Amino acid sequence: MKTLGLAVLSLILAPAIYAQAPLKLTTPAEQKIAWAEAAIKAHPDRSQPYNELAVGYVNRVRETADPSYYDQAEAAVQKSLQLTPDNLEGQKARVMILLGRGDFAGALDLAKALNKKTPDDVLLYGFIADAAIELGDYAEAEQAVQWMLDLRPGNVPALLRGATLRRLYGDSEGAMLFFSQAYQQMPPTQTEDLAWTLTQMADLQMSVGHIDDSESLLRSALQKFPRYYQAQESLARVQTARQRYSEAVELLRKRNLSFPTAASRYALAEALERAGQKAEADSAYREFETSARRTIDSADNANEELIFYYLAHRHNAAEALRIAQIEIAKRHDVNILDAYAWALYSSAHYEEAQQQIAKALAVGVRDAAMLYHAGAIAESLKDSSAAERFLKASLELNPSSDTAGAAREALEKLAPTSAEARNSK
Amino acid sequence: MIRKILFLMFMLIYLAQPGRLQAQQSSTNDLIKTLQSRVRRYPEDYAGYAGLGAAYLQKGRETGDAADFELAKGALEKSLDLLSNDPAAAFAMTQMAVVRMAEHRFDEALTWAQKALALGSGDPSPWAIAGDALADMGDYTGAAEAYSKLDSVFGSEDEKLAFSYQRDTRMSFLRFVAGDTQGAINLMRSAIQKAVEMHMPPENVAWSQYQLGEELFQAGEIAPAEKMYLASLEEYPGYYRGLAGLAKVRAAQGKYNDAADLFKKAIAAVPYPEYAAALGDVFRKIGNAQEAKKQYQLVEFIGYLNQVNQQIHNRDLALFYADHELKLNESLELARKELEVRHDIYTWDVLAWSLYKNGKIPEATDAISHALAQGTRDAQLFFHAGMIYEKAGDSAKARSYLQQALATNAHFSILYSEKAAETLARLTQKEIVVSRQEAPSVR
Repeated sequence: MKTLGLAVLSLILAPAIYAQAPLKLTTPAEQKIAWAEAAIKAHPDRSQPYNELAVGYVNRVRETADPSYYDQAEAAVQKSLQLTPDNLEGQKARVMILLGRGDFAGALDLAKALNKKTPDDVLLYGFIADAAIELGDYAEAEQAVQWMLDLRPGNVPALLRGATLRRLYGDSEGAMLFFSQAYQQMPPTQTEDLAWTLTQMADLQMSVGHIDDSESLLRSALQKFPRYYQAQESLARVQTARQRYSEAVELLRKRNLSFPTAASRYALAEALERAGQKAEADSAYREFETSARRTIDSADNANEELIFYYLAHRHNAAEALRIAQIEIAKRHDVNILDAYAWALYSSAHYEEAQQQIAKALAVGVRDAAMLYHAGAIAESLKDSSAAERFLKASLELNPSSDTAGAAREALEKLAPTSAEARNSK
Repeated sequence: MIRKILFLMFMLIYLAQPGRLQAQQSSTNDLIKTLQSRVRRYPEDYAGYAGLGAAYLQKGRETGDAADFELAKGALEKSLDLLSNDPAAAFAMTQMAVVRMAEHRFDEALTWAQKALALGSGDPSPWAIAGDALADMGDYTGAAEAYSKLDSVFGSEDEKLAFSYQRDTRMSFLRFVAGDTQGAINLMRSAIQKAVEMHMPPENVAWSQYQLGEELFQAGEIAPAEKMYLASLEEYPGYYRGLAGLAKVRAAQGKYNDAADLFKKAIAAVPYPEYAAALGDVFRKIGNAQEAKKQYQLVEFIGYLNQVNQQIHNRDLALFYADHELKLNESLELARKELEVRHDIYTWDVLAWSLYKNGKIPEATDAISHALAQGTRDAQLFFHAGMIYEKAGDSAKARSYLQQALATNAHFSILYSEKAAETLARLTQKEIVVSRQEAPSVR
């Protein structure tokens, strides 16, 4: 992990390029939208400015978490396709909207159809990878990213997706290397891209228990793109790991001032509970539950959070399992496999739970909570040595994770049994 | 399609036939024809249009004709109409940035370069243009940062060498601006070696040799500069920059007739106003006022030929008017206009000189301090500073700057080198006279 630390340090210490340039008041997406609007005015008969506008709005969602921009993006795409039916960039913008709205199967179909027609378009492979990663088809995603890298060695969209895959495969250092190679290539004007990449790196650092490095990266991200909601959410996780619960509450409150997601509402409720503000936590949980339940059957949902919510806070294993089954029918990425396994375990379907968590871990992912779940499931199947191995791995990977306390407790309970086993030998 | 565009770049960069000026131009013309018929056949071929844009640009570079840049822009717009949100579009955007640089629209060039970089194509070329634009806008730190990114992490050895060439030539200029002339010269020498190693087209090798000649000339090393200009002409016969460089050397050597012939040849190839101005100066020097006047008229004619030329030659014209004490109001107006888009040391210098000629000495003092702020060792800057401080009544500073001008390059200007020496002599004399007057009397 030494190299990981070094990479982080060099990024934070790297001098701010164009330090003298005056601060821009508009964000990159706003700028793109403005350029596109000017181009539409100048050439109202051309489709490409509308495509630019659509991409600008998609980027704006990423900057703000406000999903209503997708409607504007959609309108721009429609206009573009009216002007030039089936134009490639217009259709690509449509894939971006589908991905953003969580319709991964739809996005995958469209991206693959377009890819058949234009097999040398780099981003189409990227969209295939995005959808496949969400759906849990990692081999397909890997193949697509490899194509991107082969077509244009070192291109940023490929490096970012490659980093995500490497992380899923448990290669943190490789992921960090790709992230920083991508970061180095980004121009200083792409402030949201820079902040997003720093936040991804911070999450990666956090997952291996490097809290200080994670915090430094997040502070840099917030400097690049002030009040960036993704960085605020991650920073709240850092504060939680440090047991500074009221700071975490503050951060999430601020974050939820504009366009809270079901996930960010859930995070705030958990933070309030940890901070001992029970009444407020209860109402926050209810708020989360109401908003999350509305989307159980839609593509863009918070089912993952909802499953853990019913298990941890409502002790309603049956509802958790029901939702997990809805979701697993649609996708089988490591997170949903883990949530499904945990729901099965909580309903005492231990063997099935073991199968699901094994599928998740077989990808190679290194995640403290998943390892803890695997340990608990193994323990319920009376496989103490596997349980011990998983629990220890979880604690070794990240001694300050959310599940670290539970893992330690489980390990302690195991210890006498293991000792007895040794004695009997 | 990606392979096609890479092949195209390869053709542009590596395959131009060595030989005469005409040979390279005709190979560029052939390339343009091939690409024109390609896009006629495949009107959806974004890479074809991007390549055509790049080919027009190369032609513009060879001929100096602003119309080629317009054609380049049109082809690149077509390409970006077909594809603009993909790493593959970075090539066309970078070429668009190059066009904007050629038109002296530096902020737009920077924007295009940044747009290209935002696509993250893995090709660091746009950093070069971003750096160039920043340097012209006077942000030398930003430029150095941008140039430092000119490295291909994933490229082949050849590509790494190509980027290292680009980095060296550009960093060389920044070193010069920062006052490290020797460092600049060393970097340019290493760049030339790389250009030869890579078998770059003769025009590119010749450009590097000419550039080294310029740095040597500015350091007052006239004989080595002469060698470099000659080398550039041998590499690429008839090269207008090489001819103009050699003309300067001949003028410095007092061979004014040779200088005039060389300038004429350079102008015949590419009619740059600064060449016509220099030719006029040579004629003036040998007492041919009529021919000098003709050339000076030509300077203005070229400068105002079209809108693009006006944009490109603002600063040259401002300097020309100030140097020759013509239309001084217009000179100042042009210099101020140029400063709006360009904040590099040379724009500050021209503004200072123009202010000086217009008798606005306090403003001139302020402007020249901006020009000198980077510590650049350039005889022209020192000379202008010396003259301005002389008028401002600060003879100590005036003397010091004039001494530095002559020590850096005694032949820095056809018109003004002698003036520098005379003024310095006068200032030194005056000093002696003053000190005699102030000496206490024995009686």
